Amino acid sequence: MSYSTIDTSKKISFFDIRELLRYKDLFYTLAYREYRVRYAQTFLGFFWAFLQPLATLVIFSFVFGKAIKVDTGAIPYPIFALTGMVAWTYFSFVVSQAGRSLINSQNMIQKIYFPRLVLPLAQAFVGLVDFSITFLLLIVAMVWYGITPSPHIWYLPFFLLMAIIAALSVGIWISALTIRYRDFMHVIPFMIQIGLYATPVAYSTHYIPEKYQLLYYCINPMVGVVEGFRWSIIGQGAIHPYTFISLGIVIILFITSLIYFKKVEKVMADII
Amino acid sequence: MSDIAIKVENLSKKYIIGSGTSGSLRETLSNTWHNTFGGKRSDEEVFWALQDLNFEIKQGEAVGIIGHNGAGKSTLLKLLSKITYPTTGKITMNGRVSSLLEVGTGFHPELTGRENIYLNGTILGMTRREVKSKFDEIVDFSGVEKFLDTPVKRYSSGMYVRLAFAVAAHLEPEILIIDEVLAVGDAEFQKKCLGKMGEVAKGGRTVLFVSHNMNAIKSLCNKGLLLKNGGLDYSGNIEKSITKYLNSYEIGSPDKELSFPINPELQMQLTSVRLSGAKSQPLEVIDVFGEAFIEFEYLVRSADSTTVINLDLEYMGSIILRSFDCDVQEHLYQHRPVGTYKGRVKLPSPLKAGNYNVFISIIKLKKDYIDKPKRLSFIVEELSFNSDSKSYAKWRDGIIPGILEWSQSQI
Repeated sequence: MSYSTIDTSKKISFFDIRELLRYKDLFYTLAYREYRVRYAQTFLGFFWAFLQPLATLVIFSFVFGKAIKVDTGAIPYPIFALTGMVAWTYFSFVVSQAGRSLINSQNMIQKIYFPRLVLPLAQAFVGLVDFSITFLLLIVAMVWYGITPSPHIWYLPFFLLMAIIAALSVGIWISALTIRYRDFMHVIPFMIQIGLYATPVAYSTHYIPEKYQLLYYCINPMVGVVEGFRWSIIGQGAIHPYTFISLGIVIILFITSLIYFKKVEKVMADII
Repeated sequence: MSDIAIKVENLSKKYIIGSGTSGSLRETLSNTWHNTFGGKRSDEEVFWALQDLNFEIKQGEAVGIIGHNGAGKSTLLKLLSKITYPTTGKITMNGRVSSLLEVGTGFHPELTGRENIYLNGTILGMTRREVKSKFDEIVDFSGVEKFLDTPVKRYSSGMYVRLAFAVAAHLEPEILIIDEVLAVGDAEFQKKCLGKMGEVAKGGRTVLFVSHNMNAIKSLCNKGLLLKNGGLDYSGNIEKSITKYLNSYEIGSPDKELSFPINPELQMQLTSVRLSGAKSQPLEVIDVFGEAFIEFEYLVRSADSTTVINLDLEYMGSIILRSFDCDVQEHLYQHRPVGTYKGRVKLPSPLKAGNYNVFISIIKLKKDYIDKPKRLSFIVEELSFNSDSKSYAKWRDGIIPGILEWSQSQI
C-alpha cells in the first residue's frame, strides 16, 4: 500500500523519480495526444511535417547558398544546412511547445494532480517525431549527393542527448516562468527567431571572429550542439574546446530549471 | 496508524487576494522596489480558506464533506488531492489516492472516444494496462459503443458526460475523493452514477464526497465533516452533521432583502422585495418542498387602472412562470387607489434544486413598465431527506416538478 505525506515543515523536497515513472503512461498518452491532434482535420495531414523543413531548406539554399554564397568547403550547401537544421528544429519545437505546455493545460492543472513535469517532458518526446522527419530529409539528401557519413557518426547520440537536454532545460525554465509572468510567452517566438541567426545553422562558425567565439559558445549552448551534429554527421569542422563550455552551461541550465520548476510547482494551481 | 486512511494535522491554506498578485513582471519589479526601498504595500489582503484543521478518517469510511459556500470544502479537496500545497500543516495518506474534481479532465475534442478513454484514464492515474483491462466495462457503462471511433467533438453533451463519467467510475484507488460531479447528465444516468459510487463506498474503500445534495450524501456516507469558515464545525455521524448543517441555515442572514430609494417621478414604485418563509422569517435558501413567499411593498402616487404587479420566475436562463397579482385580485386591476401597499405571493412547491431569479415589476397593461423589474435571487436545495419517492424532485424530468391534484377511485 502506498503511503504519502505532505508536510509543510519539511522545507527541502526533491523530485520524486519513482513517482515520475509511475506516471510514464500519462507521459506516453500526452505525447500521443499532441502528435495526433497537430494535423487533425488537415487536408495534407502528415505531409505538413515534411513541407515545413523543406521550405526552410529551399529558402536557406537560395539566400545563403546562392546569394550570399556561404563557404561550406566540399559539402553541398543543402547538406550543410540540413545538418544544422535537424538540431535546430528540434530545439525550437521543444522550447516553444514545452514553454507553453503548462499554460495550455491550465484546466488540467487546476483539476487533477499529476507530476507537472510530465507536460514539458512529453513535448520533448513529441519533438523527436519532427526530428526524425528532418533527419529523414537529410538522409535522402545525402544519398542524392552521394555523401558518406563521417566516421564520427557514433558520437551523434551524444549530441542528440545534449540537444534534448538543452531544449528541455530552456523549455522547463520558460514554462515555469510563464506561470507567474506571462511576459515570457511573448519571449518565445522572439527568442527562436533571433536564435536561428545566432546559431550556426545556415552559416559556419568560422565567420565568427576568434575573440567573440567564447562569448558565442557561452550565450548560446546550441552552438556546441549544432557544431557537434555537423562534425559527427559529415565530419566538417572539429570539436571546438568551447563545446565543453556549452555542455557545462546546458547542465547548469537543466539543474536550475528543475529546481525552479519544483519551487513553482507548489503554487502552480493557485496562480496559473 | 494502520487503520487510518487520512490524517490531517493543523492544516491551513492562505490565499493572497487583491491587486499586486496578477503576476506581471512589471508588478513584481515594482513590488520588489517598494519592499527594498520602503513604502508599504497596502493592497495585499490575506484570506485563510482553511485554518488549523485537524481530523482523521479511518479506512473504509465514506465521509461527506458539507458546509456553506466558502466554508473551505473545495480548498480541502484540492489539498487532499495534491492539486495545491498547504500553507502550513501536515497531511498523511495511507493508500493510492484518486480525485475526481471534474469529469472529463484532459478530454481532447479532436480525439476519438476510444483515445479519450485512454487519455483520461491515464490522467486520472491509471496505467494503460489498467485502462485496457477495464475498457469493455467502461464502454458498456457509457453506452456510446457505436461512436467509439468518432471524435468526441461530434458527441452530444450527454454522450460526452457519460463517457467521461464512465472512465472515472472505473477508478479503483484505495482513497477516492469526489467533488460534486454527480450533477451531470440526465436523471437516469445520475442514478446510475450514484449507484456506482455507492458500490465503491460499500466495497471497503475510503471515499470523500462533497455535495450540496443531502440525499446523495446521506445515501452514500456514514460520516460527516461539517466545515464552517475554514474550520471544522462538527465531525461524526452523518445524520447529525446534516441536521447541524441544515439548522445553521435557519439563522440565514436577511441580506437578501432588496430595498429601493424613493423616486418621486414614478407613478407607482416598489420599495422593497424579499424572500421569506411561512412565518415571515427571511430566507435565501429554500428546501425543495419548503414553503416560501416573496414579500413586497410598493407605493401608489396616483390612482390608475389596468396596472399589474408582475412576477417572473427564472430558472436556468428561462422564464418558467409568469404571474399577475390581478389573476386573483381583479379589483386592483380595475382601480388601484393611492397609498402604501404590502403583499406577499407564495412560490410554487416543490421546485427543482438550483438557482432561481425572481423578477418583480409594475406594468401598465399594453403600455410599458411603470417600475422596471427588480431581481431577487435565491437557491433551492434538497434539504429535506425523507426517502419517499416524491422527494426526488431533482431526478424528475420537467422544469416544474409540481405535484398536481390527482384523484382516483376504484369503480
